Amino acid sequence: MNGKGKRMTLEKRHSLTGWGFLTPAVVLIVVMNFIPMLRALLLSFQAGVGNRMSFAGLYNYIRMFQDAVFLRSLANNFIYLLIQVPIMLVLALVLASLLNHKDLRLKGVFRTAIFLPCATSLVSYAIIFRSLFAVDGFINTVLVRLHILDTGYNFLGHAFSARIVIILALIWRWTGYNMVFYLSGLQNIEYSVYEAAKIDGATPFQSFWKITVPLLKPTILLTAIMSTNGTLQLFDESVNLTNGGPANATITMSHYIYNMSFKYVPNFGYAAAMSYLILFLVAALAFIQMKVGDKRD
Amino acid sequence: MMKKKRIVAMLTAAAIAVSLTGCGTSASDGTSAASGGGNQGESGTADENTLTVWCWDPAFNIRAIETAGKLYQKDHPDFNLQIIETPWEDVQTKLTTAATSGNLDTLPDILLMQDNAFQKNVISYPDAFLDLSSSGIDFSEFSQAKVAYSTVDGKNYGVPFDNGAVIAAYRTDILEMAGYTIEDFTDITWSEYLEKGRVVLEKTGLPLLTCKGNESDVAAMMLQSAGASFFDENGEPDMADNEALKEVVSTYAELVKAGVMVEVNDWDQYIGSMTNGSVAGTINGCWIMASIQTAEDQAGKWEITNIPRLDNVPGATNYSNNGGSSWAITTNCKNKELAQDFMAETFAGSTELYEEILPATGALTCYLPAADSPVYSEPQKFYNGQSVFTLITDYAAQTPGNHTGVYYYEAKDAIAVAITNVVAGGDPDRELKNAEDTVNFVMGK
Repeated sequence: MNGKGKRMTLEKRHSLTGWGFLTPAVVLIVVMNFIPMLRALLLSFQAGVGNRMSFAGLYNYIRMFQDAVFLRSLANNFIYLLIQVPIMLVLALVLASLLNHKDLRLKGVFRTAIFLPCATSLVSYAIIFRSLFAVDGFINTVLVRLHILDTGYNFLGHAFSARIVIILALIWRWTGYNMVFYLSGLQNIEYSVYEAAKIDGATPFQSFWKITVPLLKPTILLTAIMSTNGTLQLFDESVNLTNGGPANATITMSHYIYNMSFKYVPNFGYAAAMSYLILFLVAALAFIQMKVGDKRD
Repeated sequence: MMKKKRIVAMLTAAAIAVSLTGCGTSASDGTSAASGGGNQGESGTADENTLTVWCWDPAFNIRAIETAGKLYQKDHPDFNLQIIETPWEDVQTKLTTAATSGNLDTLPDILLMQDNAFQKNVISYPDAFLDLSSSGIDFSEFSQAKVAYSTVDGKNYGVPFDNGAVIAAYRTDILEMAGYTIEDFTDITWSEYLEKGRVVLEKTGLPLLTCKGNESDVAAMMLQSAGASFFDENGEPDMADNEALKEVVSTYAELVKAGVMVEVNDWDQYIGSMTNGSVAGTINGCWIMASIQTAEDQAGKWEITNIPRLDNVPGATNYSNNGGSSWAITTNCKNKELAQDFMAETFAGSTELYEEILPATGALTCYLPAADSPVYSEPQKFYNGQSVFTLITDYAAQTPGNHTGVYYYEAKDAIAVAITNVVAGGDPDRELKNAEDTVNFVMGK
């Protein structure tokens, strides 16, 4: 009896310790994250200017599908998503498997060099890209000197080229980040597997496609979900690199939400509703990716 | 087992999505939090004799209020100013955050506000600003068009600071190479400007004008020069059937197509085009002079005159306005008498202050008694001996008023989109109709 009672207390004590460790984090997440999210959800059902809000039901949610600028920004986000994310992930995967080669020298240097862009501030890299692609910027100067162009081309002044610049910037900034995930995933693949494949006569491409990719699948899934999420919430590049222009050709949803809240006559209800659409899109896309990507059972 | 795994996976997916979005949402509306953070010492100061001020330009308005503080200290030795350099975008973000969260105590005692944002902020956050109508400040001593920006429902909320009278500044040495003088660009129309601009471009390879693309500042200046606005007197958007605006848009597109005006992408390139000599002139609010003057090697080469007028619009003038700002006192101010008295004795009552800040900053007063000061007529070396401030005061007096409305920034962005599309070959009528629809939509119609 006595002994049993003691064991219960020990269990209780363990679980209490566990909760004790968890509580600070749980409280912080609830206070800093979940409560604001709940408040934002309530806000999204209200309409009005500044502080003078009143309940409006689904008005904001219906409204956003009639908003030409918002639909434009939604389309822009999907352009970035569909073009940039695949290029970036493939590039990251290729770089990771190149840099994982066991005979490669100066691995550390290359890995650092490719990861380094992630350590730069979002604002400063956007500003640097903006000045690189300016009419009298570095890229134009090089192109003119090489006689490819007669005069500087206004890359950020044309819809098509402005989008390409943003995509290039994103690839530069985020490829290294994803590569690190792949590199760590690759550490779990035994080298003997590749050796066996080699003995069986597999080409490097075959061993990449038949060994590396399938074994990295969980990591690929993770990076795909994170990149989708990041792209749908793109903000800094749109604001700092192109300022949404020309003619809203590069504006993102988050940028428009920001304008709606802080630049224009503030309409927080509408802004919150648009934020919730992003949440919904991210959740839906992540769910689809899980379904498609994870076929373990 | 497999089922359990699947459930776990789904939960993880949901958790990732929710938690990441959580971060992101807070990052997007939370730029406020980032820039609005670190509020220590920025709130209305506890010390009775210290006033906290937010304004943004060290070469311009910060210098002006420092000078005002020193003048006021002469009679009030205990008085102190704490100036916090805050870019306008941040002032707006912090103000919005403070007012919507109900934490007005994060606001300073005094803040400088863009005239174009004044109506919007006072109407959105009526509790945040002190009504100055009975503060002892004599608003009749300011130019009335200027006071109107900060007047809401007949109540004065702002003390006018600088004037945004538009000037056209030219590099006379470049004009000379094309065989022109400053007189050739005085009292002209936009079609004459275009024609002469083509000659300048041909002979010197330089455009006459640069402007920031994806913005409609130049268009807004052209429009106001004819007394026209994006809005009618009732605050309704007036774009699709606005003849003046149509001419503005087509003139703008022609200038860009001819290469007489070059669009650049950001403010640094814009300023750079003037200071590094890759453009023959500029058109902007007179506050641009502070930036032009940073190119000391070009002293004596610049001269100013009025801007071109629209060709076919009745009531077109050669004068316009762009920018300008006013001081507001927040309701968070602990010592309201002090703040009001400080304003009444400096920006609203001291000719001496304006005499001191004018040559240094080019801050042209809206305080009428100061305009008679002899400092205004002094010739300026940088502008080849022109008495530029007398000229600008004269331009300011002739500038037609316009209706900015509450939705001014929405309108400017919508017009910027229309202009970009027209320059790229779009149909002006359709684009202006789209712009009007966009603004109507934002206004909830």
